[in-house]
This record gives sequence, structure tokens and C-alpha cells, in this order.
Amino acid sequence: MSNLFFRERIKESINNPNLQTALDNNTERRLRGRALAFESIPDWRERRQRAHKIRADVIDNLDEYLNQFITKNEANGVIVHRAKDSKEAIQIVLQIVGASHDSPKLVAKSKSMVTEEIELNHALEKENIKVVETDLGEYIVQLRKERPSHIITPAAHLKKEQVAQLFHEKLNIPYTEDIPTLTATARKILREIFLTADIGISGVNFGVAETGNICVVSNEGNARMVATIPPVHIALMGMERIVPNLDDLSLFISLLARSATGQKISVYTQLLRKPLPNQTRHIIILDNGRSRLRNSPLKESLYCIRCGACLNACPVFRELSGHAYIGKDKTIAPYPGPIGSVISPGLMGENFVHLAQASSLCGACKDACPVDIDLPKMLTRVRAGKVNSESSSVISEGAGLNQLTKLFLQIYTRLSTRPKLFAFSQAFASLTTFLLSPFSQWIHLPAFTGWGYSKDFPRFANKTFRSQWKPVTLSETKGFSQNKRDSSVAEKLLPQSDTNLIEQFTKELTTVSGNVYQTKNFQQDVINFIKSRNINKIMLEPNTLDESLLQKANIDFTYDDDPQIRLGVTNALVGLADTGSVLEADEALHPSLLPEIHIVMLKSKDIVPSLPDAIHLVEDKNAAVFITGPSRTADIEMTLTIGVHGPKELHVFVDVSNSG
Amino acid sequence: MPTVQLFITCLTDSFFPKTGEAVVNILNRLGINVEFAHEQTCCGQPQFNAGLRKDARAVAEHTIKVFENTSGDIIMPSGSCAHHFKHGYIELFENDNIWLPRTKALADRVYEFTEYLVDNLNITDVGATWDGMLTYHPSCHTLRGMNIDKQPRALLQNVKGATLVELPNANECCGFGGIMSVEHPELSAEWLKRKIQNLDETQSPTLVVTDAGCLMHIAGGLNRQKKKQKVFHIAEILNQR
Repeated sequence: MSNLFFRERIKESINNPNLQTALDNNTERRLRGRALAFESIPDWRERRQRAHKIRADVIDNLDEYLNQFITKNEANGVIVHRAKDSKEAIQIVLQIVGASHDSPKLVAKSKSMVTEEIELNHALEKENIKVVETDLGEYIVQLRKERPSHIITPAAHLKKEQVAQLFHEKLNIPYTEDIPTLTATARKILREIFLTADIGISGVNFGVAETGNICVVSNEGNARMVATIPPVHIALMGMERIVPNLDDLSLFISLLARSATGQKISVYTQLLRKPLPNQTRHIIILDNGRSRLRNSPLKESLYCIRCGACLNACPVFRELSGHAYIGKDKTIAPYPGPIGSVISPGLMGENFVHLAQASSLCGACKDACPVDIDLPKMLTRVRAGKVNSESSSVISEGAGLNQLTKLFLQIYTRLSTRPKLFAFSQAFASLTTFLLSPFSQWIHLPAFTGWGYSKDFPRFANKTFRSQWKPVTLSETKGFSQNKRDSSVAEKLLPQSDTNLIEQFTKELTTVSGNVYQTKNFQQDVINFIKSRNINKIMLEPNTLDESLLQKANIDFTYDDDPQIRLGVTNALVGLADTGSVLEADEALHPSLLPEIHIVMLKSKDIVPSLPDAIHLVEDKNAAVFITGPSRTADIEMTLTIGVHGPKELHVFVDVSNSG
Repeated sequence: MPTVQLFITCLTDSFFPKTGEAVVNILNRLGINVEFAHEQTCCGQPQFNAGLRKDARAVAEHTIKVFENTSGDIIMPSGSCAHHFKHGYIELFENDNIWLPRTKALADRVYEFTEYLVDNLNITDVGATWDGMLTYHPSCHTLRGMNIDKQPRALLQNVKGATLVELPNANECCGFGGIMSVEHPELSAEWLKRKIQNLDETQSPTLVVTDAGCLMHIAGGLNRQKKKQKVFHIAEILNQR
């Protein structure tokens, strides 16, 4: 099988200077961000091994875990569906959406790789259903009628000038390259979509078997919108996306954002359990080749948590972007990068096997993987045809390899198993290359040979090592001892400080653009702040601000959703010192999401060191979210922009009076 | 006095016999007997990496048989081949009750050259001298596959007269990848270009590697670009006195 079509696409990518600049930026920033983020967990190697073991256990016992997860969800009032392939999944979605040509339905979607895998948007649009992608990067590629080029940053291949031109043409705004203006434009348009959508569709980062929670993370806040505002929420998840319990979940959360975006934690880590009042939730669990993959030598690839770290680390991805990973039929593989070159053929078979040949097996992907998937080994297995194909057709060894290369290697095998012939052919090669290039050690081979494309070929040595070998017998013993291999000392955990939690909380939250104020006069200070911003109507979570104080201050308030209101006040159940996060739940969900300004009231005694100390608080909440700073995106040229779909400002008032 | 086996590797044998001589000289100077099993050929990594497992097995079985008849640690001037002995072979014979134990017994004897000097002999100074700048490119399989990095760096640190400068983005692959550089020359060329740019930045006239693969590839690129820098296997540097 020839890989020429793939090589053509590779050349196109390499020769596209805009793309190359964008990819270099992505790579450099992501690698640096990731390295920095991991410095804050010195025990990351140990965490990574633990995460690997947990994922292995889940995949080995997937049926039991899934049953547990489904039973919990049904008890929680969630409607669970299982889809064996993309066709079934699409059918289920269409049934829920209730396609009607008379009153077209509107679907607001947050980013989900599974929906890319089953090409859901295309199927919905065919039924006259309007689907709007709401992640900024995904919105951009949807407007360009493209597929995402990266699983975390879908528009990683574009420069801001291209986005500026796109918004100018498609959204009728004056041409501007100002990223905050572009982001604000998307915010305004998409806010309307969230509020009027009939259905919200999201993916799932993790499903928790023991409690039934689904965890959906985002930075922009769009995944919170689609999961909690429209009357119907559909969550699509790959069947492998399970973690056993909340403690395990907190481990994966500590790895996911660090690996994906270089954050200690994403801005919004949502944990959804029961549907909200007046809401219906469906979970669609998708197989689509995963059972087959699970029973194949590529099983380990199911451990993936879709962080995209292997893409950022990969020198191949750095030249290509996701759009160049194409099948024999020239369709773009749903999953790019090293993991994609394993699971695309793993899930979809022969069409994508040649992708695995485009790797030097340099191992940067394995190094970057937060669950230590042996990606180079997986790639060699794909190359060896160890893909459980859906059809009965067997994929041969050397899948995707050039026929000439294959022939050369087979001849080399014959030589390598016959030492005399091997030595003879070395002498023959030496003579041949000497005749080809009598005056230089180097031979200028033509480009079509592959080797000659960018480098010269060395002449074989006149005399090989073996032909010159003369054994030397040493007589005297020199005194030195042979040491055992040194076992590296396990890294010690930094001691966890039990004091200064407030200071740590403040430092962390400030780093991610949040504001923290310590107060002994909680209520009055919050009211003064509201007045200082000239706001006269606010959205409240019950039992936050004292109504009589508000009335005295002439501040109008409501406990109901009102998207016009600019400021919301909530209580935090808990604060996390090591990430600067606050936990909000149930009645706090919308006041903490819809307004531009979010005020949080947190008691100092409720600040705990880290996520594992707080994760169990979500057990009896219908829906909860850990919030870490104002909503943000880096989808355009990796430039950090604050205030996408969620609040633009986050102010946390910490009550240090120790009352109650 | 310990006796070790030298696995010369097919690339070093065919293209860079001086590297092999240097390895033997250094080991001899340290009082180590070196034996060379003449029946050895290639470890079979090219076939394995390309996915040709049947071929890779045939070569692996040959190599295992050759070294089973020898004793002592097996030293090789290549992290890549060592990685294949230790990991590729295990993968090849994973489900083979007869070959797997033989493979594992062999893998336990295998050392990359600098790993053997530093971890096993506890030697970081072999008494080498070099006049001028050196910069080190860690081969992917040595660095990430074998987790060997501090060993070659320690040895180079102790070369008298040499100034070791850090290669920018040293850990990036040079783009060789064996068969990949022929299968996907366009990709390979981009990485090579970047590696050479990084080398230029150091202003070091000499690049040191631990693998003949990277050596062939980078030196071939330098020659094509008519550049003056030279690439040496670490053994040749350490053999200078």
C-alpha cells in the first residue's frame, strides 16, 4: 500500500507558513505550560503510575463498572442509552431532539471528541436541526466548515488574522484583530444560543461509577451552559470514560488540566449527578469499536483521558496539525497525534493504519502521557497489523509501509540470519559505495530515494569492524568494583503546610485572575462592593446576603434566573487552597454562571488544602462545580482572554471573623 | 577480571568501525576483556519498527542464539539497540513460553556503553582529553527509551580541556527514526533542519551522540548543507587522550 496521498498532505502542511507558525506557538507554549504545572505536584510520577493502574483496572472490569454507573444514573433520574455504533448514537440523539421540519430545533453544543468521531453535527443538520458549537475554537472551525485541528484547541492551526477575516465576513463585524473584541463578539452571539437552545449536547470527561456523577470540564463556561440551561441535556460519552470513585476522580482531575492546558485545574470542573428541576438529562454511552479495541493488543490506548499532551509533545503533530492525519479515503481522522494514530485505526480499521508509520518512535508522547500509555509500543503494534478489524480482512504486517521498503527489509532479514552472507554483503556494499563515490565519504542520493531528500549517505567503511577484530587478552586485573545499578531515590513529597491556607488560596486564585478580599464584616463589605460598581439589581443564591441589608442599601435582588442581571452572589461550600478553587452547587449554579460579575462568600474555616479533601461534598449535590477564576479561553493564537461565556470577574470575600 | 561481550550493532560495524575500536580501547584500558561473537549481525530493530514482526523474530532468534553461547554483560554503543534488546524482544516473544525466558535472560545482560561505564563500573572519568567545545544530542531511545542521560553527560563533563555547552531543545528527535526517515523524508527533513539550527546556535564545532543512527542522519544533513560541524559517537571522544 502506498502512502503517497498522506505524504502529499504532509507536504502541504509543511509548506504552509501560517500553519507552521501557529503550530510552533502551540507547541512551545503548551510544553512550557505543562512543565510548569507539573512542578506544583512533585509526586507526579507516582500519580501517573497510580492513574495508569486505575485505568487498567477500569478497562479490565469495564462491564461491571459500567453497570454500576448506569444503575446509579437511572436511580438519579437520568435516562441512559447505549449505542453500539455511530449510527445508533445518531438515531438516539435524533429521537431525543425530536426532529421536526415545521419548527426547527436549536442545539447548543460544547466540545466533544465523541461527537466528532460519530460526525453528529453533519447528521443533525441533515435533519434540519441547527447545531451551534459554543467552545470558541470549535465555533471558529464550525464557521470555517472545518474539523478541529487539535483535540483541546480546535483552532490551533489558525492565526488571528484568519479569525478576524472570518468574523468580519460571517458575523458582519468591522474587521478587527483584537482578540478580546473577537471573543466578546462570540460571547454575545453564543449567549443568545444558550438561552434559546432546545437542547444542550456535551461530552463527558469522566463518569464516576460509584456515584453516577459525570464530570465535564471547561474553561470558557460553555459546557456549564449547555448542561444546565436548555431543558434537555444530552451527554455523549465513550464507554471507556469511567473512573471507579470520587477519590480516583480527584487524581485524574489533578492530571488532566496540567497535561492539557498547563493549568492546575480547569476554570470549571462540573460534577453533574441529578437533572436540575425542569430538566431532562440523557447519557448516551458509545461503543463504536471500543469493545473490539479492548480485546485487541491496542487495549492500552483506551486508558487515554483525551488531554492532548501527546499531540503537543509530538514532533510529527508539530509539522502537521490534526487536519493532515487522513485516511486512505482522504477523510480526516477523528483523533490526531500519536494517540490518534493508534485509536483511529483501532476504532475504524484499515483506513487509518498507515498513520502509525509516520513516527520516529521518539517516545516524547509516552513521556508526556499522564497515564503512561506506551504509545511507541502501540504504534509498532499498529504497524504490525495488530488491529482487530471489523471486517474479516486481516491487516498485514508492515501495514502502511512502502513496498520497496518492505522488500529491502525482508532481504535484510535474510542477510541478518546468515552471518557469512552478512559479512559478504557488507564487503559488496563497501565496494559499490566506493565506486559510486570514489572521492568523498558521502554519496549524494537523489530525493526520490527518501534518504537523499535532505541528507547525504555515508560510504560503507572500507573495512568493517568485524573484519578487523583481533581479540586482546588482558593479563593484569585492575582494581575496581562492579556496582549494582543505582536505584533512584523516590522523590519525597514536599511537606504539606497546614497553616496559611488563606494565603495559599489567595495566591493561587490571584494567579488565575480572581480577586480575594479578607473581611470581618462579610455582609456589609459585599454590599459596599456591589454599590461601588453602581449595580442596582443582583442575582442571589438563597441564604447569602441579608435581605434587609440589601433593601436598606437600595439593591434590588432576585433568586430566579435573569440573564440581564450583571452581578451574582453565591456562597462557597468550600475553598481549595492549592488551586484557588471554590465549590458551588445547585442553587448557586446560575448566579455563578450567567452574570458578568460573580461574588463568592467563603468562610475561612471552609478552606481545605486540596481537591481530595473536598470531592466527597459533591455526593449529595444534584450538580456541583469547582470554579477556579473567571471564565477564560486561549483558543485564538493561544492568547489568554478573560471572560468568554461565564463571568468576566470573580471576587471571593473570605470571612475571617470565625463566626459560625 | 570481567569479560564482556561487544554487540557492535550493524550500523557501527558497517559504517563507523572506529567507534567500535574506541569502545574496545576504553574498556580494555579499564581492565575489561572484550569478546566479539562473530556470528552477530543486526538486532532486528529495523524490521520490528516497521511492523515486520515475522522478520524481526527471525533476526532476534538468531541474535539470542549467538549470545546465549557467550558469557558476561553485553555492551553496545547504541541506546537504540539496547532498547530493542530490552523492550522490543520482550514484546516479540510476549506470548512465547520458550523464547520469553531466553529473551529475558539476555536482556538482563544488556547495557548501553555509557550506562555500563557509569552505573556498573562507577566510572565517570575515563581520562579523556579534548580541545574545544562539545555539545550533546541525547538520542531518543537512549534518553527516553533507556532513561540514560546523566551518564553520558557525566562522562563528557570529565573530559579534560573540553567545554560542554547545552544544545537548545536537546531532547527533540533529530528525525532519523530508522525507516521513517525514508518513508517520510519530508517530516524527517524538518526535524533535521531544526536540529542543525540548534547546533548552529551553540557554535560548537562538535556534536556528540550515543547512536550511529543519529550520527549518520545528522552528519549526512550537515554534509548536504555544506556545514563544517563534525558529529562523533561519544566513545570516540572518550577515547581521545
